[in-house]
Formats: sequence, C-alpha cells, structure tokens
Amino acid sequence: MSTRSPLIRLATKPLHPPTLPLTQTRHESTTRRHRKLLFLPGAPSYTPSTATPTLIFNPPSSAPNIYHTPSKFLPATDKRRLLYASALTRSTATALRTASPSTASPGTPLTTPSHPPPKPSAPLPDPVRAPYEKKYHVSAADVEEMRRLRAANPRVWTRVRLAERFGCSQFFVGMVAKNEGVAEKRRMEDEKVRVGWGRRRREAREDRGRRREGWGRDA
Amino acid sequence: MKRLRISRCASQLLAHQPAPRRLSCPCAPALQRHTTPHNHRIQSRFQSTLVIPNELGREELLVEELDGTTDSTSTPQAEQRESPSPLPSAAQRSAKLYALRSRLSLRQGFPLETLARTLVHPSADPDPAFNNASLSILGSNLLGYYTTEHLLCNYPRLPMSVVFAAQFAYIGPKALATIASEWGIEAAAAPGAEVDPGLLQFKRLRSGDSVPEVLRRQVPWNWNVTTTNRILKSDAFGSSSAPPSPHELSGIPVPIEEAAQSFVQALIGALHLHLGSPLVKRFFRDHFLSRHLDLSTLFDFRTPTRDLSRLCAREGFEAPVARLISETGRLSRHPVFVVGVYSGKDKLGEGAGSSLDEARIRAAAAALKGWYLYRPLEVTVPSSTEGALDTSAWKPNMIDCGEVIV
Repeated sequence: MSTRSPLIRLATKPLHPPTLPLTQTRHESTTRRHRKLLFLPGAPSYTPSTATPTLIFNPPSSAPNIYHTPSKFLPATDKRRLLYASALTRSTATALRTASPSTASPGTPLTTPSHPPPKPSAPLPDPVRAPYEKKYHVSAADVEEMRRLRAANPRVWTRVRLAERFGCSQFFVGMVAKNEGVAEKRRMEDEKVRVGWGRRRREAREDRGRRREGWGRDA
Repeated sequence: MKRLRISRCASQLLAHQPAPRRLSCPCAPALQRHTTPHNHRIQSRFQSTLVIPNELGREELLVEELDGTTDSTSTPQAEQRESPSPLPSAAQRSAKLYALRSRLSLRQGFPLETLARTLVHPSADPDPAFNNASLSILGSNLLGYYTTEHLLCNYPRLPMSVVFAAQFAYIGPKALATIASEWGIEAAAAPGAEVDPGLLQFKRLRSGDSVPEVLRRQVPWNWNVTTTNRILKSDAFGSSSAPPSPHELSGIPVPIEEAAQSFVQALIGALHLHLGSPLVKRFFRDHFLSRHLDLSTLFDFRTPTRDLSRLCAREGFEAPVARLISETGRLSRHPVFVVGVYSGKDKLGEGAGSSLDEARIRAAAAALKGWYLYRPLEVTVPSSTEGALDTSAWKPNMIDCGEVIV
C-alpha cells in the first residue's frame, strides 16, 4: 500500500492525455506501402464491369429498415428467399473479383455499405462480449449446498462468491438462493442514500431510467 | 327514469287529430316521392294528415303535403316540440348533408335521410328508430372485422398486444373522432327539431361537468384478465372493461368524442345496408387503411436480448451473438457504437447507441421487430371471397405459431 500523498502520486504518474486512444497506431514503414494500405476502392456501382450504362446506386449509410425482414426470418415458402440468395451470389462474385484492402473490411471504421460486400471467407466482426456456452452443470445437490451456505452466513456467502464457487452466473444464484433479509436491508441502505440526493442527481437518475426504457421501444 | 315524450303532450293538445306518428322509416319520403324540395326559409306551409297503410298495415304515416300557399305558424312549432331531433323530411333541405355526401364521394342513391340519421346520437334522441344506435353497433362490428383481418393477414406474426394497439390506432374512439372532424362534421350547440340535420346532434356535457357515470364505470370483463381472456371476451381493443352499449347513453350528456365516434360507426353500418359490402370495403380502404400507422413504434420490449435468444432457440437458429460493426469516439464524451446481432453468419438486426449495452439491446429489439413485422407477399383477406361460390382465388394465409413468451 502506498503511503505517498495523492499529490505526489499525481506528479509521478506518466502524463497521458486522457482523450487519446490507448490503442497503438502502426503505420507502414514506407510512404508507398502506407498509401497502398489506405487506398479505398470505388463503390461497385461506380466501377461497372460492362461498358453499357448502368444504374448507379450508392446510398448514404443509414440504419436498416425494420420492415426489411432478414432472410433467416423468412418462411421457407417465401419468394424473397430466392431473390436474396441470387443477390448474395452476385455480390459474392463481385467481392471475389475486386480486391479490397484490409482497412476497409467489416469491423473497421472505414467500412461503408457502398464498398464491395465482404468475401465469404472474411471474418465476422468481433463479438461485443465473449461468447460462452451454457453448461447446465449445477446439480440439485449443488443448489441445496448453495442455499445452505447462503442461509448460514449471507454476509460471507454473497451472490458474487457463490457464483465464483459454483461457476454459474450471479443471476442464477439470485434465482435459486435469494435471501430476502439481505435484499431488504440493502434496499433500505440504498433508499437512505437516495434520500440525501439533491434535485440534479435525482433527475439525472430518473432520466437515465427513462432513456433505458426507450431502448426497447424506439425504432 | 323514462322521460315523458313531448309528442304525447302535443297530441293531447291537438285533440282534433289522431295521434300523429312520425315516419317509421326515415327514407320513406324519398322512396314514396310525396315530398317536393322547397325553400325551408319560407315557414308558411299547410299540413294535413293522410293515413296510408304501410306494408305491415299497422303504422300510420304522417305525410306532409307541401305547397307553400297557405300560412300556418302554429304547426311548425308543434312539430318542433314533438321531436327531439330533426325530422327525416328536413334532410332533403339541408345543404350540409348534400355537401357531406359529395365530400365522401357517396353515390347519389345513398339517401340523405339515412345520412341525417347517422348524425343523431342516442343522447339527443332516445327513440331507437330515429337515432344511430343500431347502425353504430353494426358499423363498429364491421370496422373491427375489416381492421382485424387486415392486420392479421398482413402481419401474421404481430404480438397480440400490438394488434390491440394497432386496432385502437385505426378505429379507436380518438381515431374515429379525428376522422369525423377531418370529414368536416360540425356539432350542433344543442339538439332539436329546428337544427340543421347536417350537424352532429348530441346532448353536450356542460362546462365543468364530469363524464357521466355510464362512461366512467369500469366493469371488468372477468376477474382474470389475461390476453386469452381479452381475445375471447373483450372488445377489439382488448380493453379490460366493457364499453357502454349505445342504447345506454340515451338522454345523458356525452363528450363530443363519443358522439363523433358513433357517427362514423353508424355511417359504416348505413353504407353496408345501402351499398353493400364491396363498396363499404373500398370506403374503409380509402378512409381508414389509408391513414399512416407505423407499427414499429407500437412495440415495447423489456428484455429484448432474452426474447431474441428464446426466439432463436424456438426456431432452431444458432444462438444470437452481438458483434461490434463499427464504433467512433470510444473515449470521448459522445461515443457511437454500431452493433449487429448475428445468428451464425446471418445478420438479424442492427442498432446504434452511445454505449455498448445500449447498442446491443437496440440491435436485439430491431431483430425482434424484423421477426414480428414480417409481411407475406400474397395476401387474400377472408372478406374478399365473401358470398362467392368459386373459391379458386382463395389462397390460404400464413398463420404463425405465436409470439415469444419468456
């Protein structure tokens, strides 16, 4: 544990401007390679493969239409499945024909819908949270043990500790071994803190809750 | 309490005549051609009674002979006293009714007397033969039928709560009142025989009065108000309490929204009786379905990510994975993340938000909307084959297995 005063700690801290991203930016070693890296191909409709005049379709990026049902959600008898499949075949052929740099691949800031579609071999964007498999490994005896520990000493065997010990989620612990007394006590403590809040903090909290409700409601 | 009819008092005063009955059918004068249009500003006219047995031979009809030569000032007053709403015969003299009929592009054959009757709310005239209660019951059922079949055939996967909300948006009381005002329906200050029949006749709520007890009462349909219960027992909007019957509203003051709603419903019922269902359906398409309703705004998901994983598990798709498509300004004050939900290699939905959680949840909600708002390409609504013996044009509609229940 450090015994230095906060002022000294602040002075000895490496000075990073807090607005700069922490990810490192690496450039190519030569100008030519760097320019080649940043070269973006034109939109496919601007570079037609035939000499005859074609339709130019280059819409600005926008949120997808809700009424445009994804092909996975279409019933097997729907004719749109065939249309989507043919469009996918054509776009895959275009993607394989034209070379696109790695900087414009999906998941990067430079990708736009007007670019050639990704190749089938291109990786999907990174997951927001690490995907996990549900294991369903907690047995009835484990649940009983969990309940016993929680009832015996709820201050020690909190939801977090039980979840770590049995390898399940805290939500699951709350479902099977909920301690009403502790929950009520915690609610009272929170309520006591909330009473001390001023108008601005209270309204900011309420606004945040209202915005949270809007996530599932807005288009 | 039943109100004493003023017509009885008037008939007692006019003892030398048999009790005059009003016409049993509002369109009878138009059909019998006994009346001739005249200037209604000339109040002088001569009235005589003529007893004509109608088809059933039970009713006596009062037929006015109008020639405008002799003057009688007392007779119009007696007529005004005996009827709480304009007489059917006044419909032919109303410029407003002619204008309304033309504005709605109704046929010339559609009788103005019926159009005038649709404008009389039971609160103005308690007599069921002269108010629009029966027509509005027929019309509300027709409206509910056409709207439901349109929604269920075109969006077969809609959740039931969204269907109810969409019904309310298309043919709910507020929507019908708006439609009536867009048609240029004006309300009379007070109902009466002397009022122009082209005005909406109803007894107004006085300023400061509360809504009457009949409209306010909340009679639950059943003690367990589930969605199934709403589908089976409740009205087209899935409301948890029973609306009042139009006959219950006779004589009590009502808000203008109630009266305007009953007019629109009664007009649909009258059109069905006079013009037949094909023209009513065209009218419904032009005036009701043409109103823009964005169904995607009616959804309210609480746990979209959980619903989407349940949906994918139910339909046998790979479990959905949220992937970061693009981002900007992660360390700034206003970052934007664009997240797509993928099942295998297929993108199901996309959402943007200022935090990763927001974008993820919005993407899941967008994917769920993409599922629920599926619209088949070929749709044959059941009412289009009504009355036809040849069923070769019928194509079975898609029926979905239902919404996701977590």
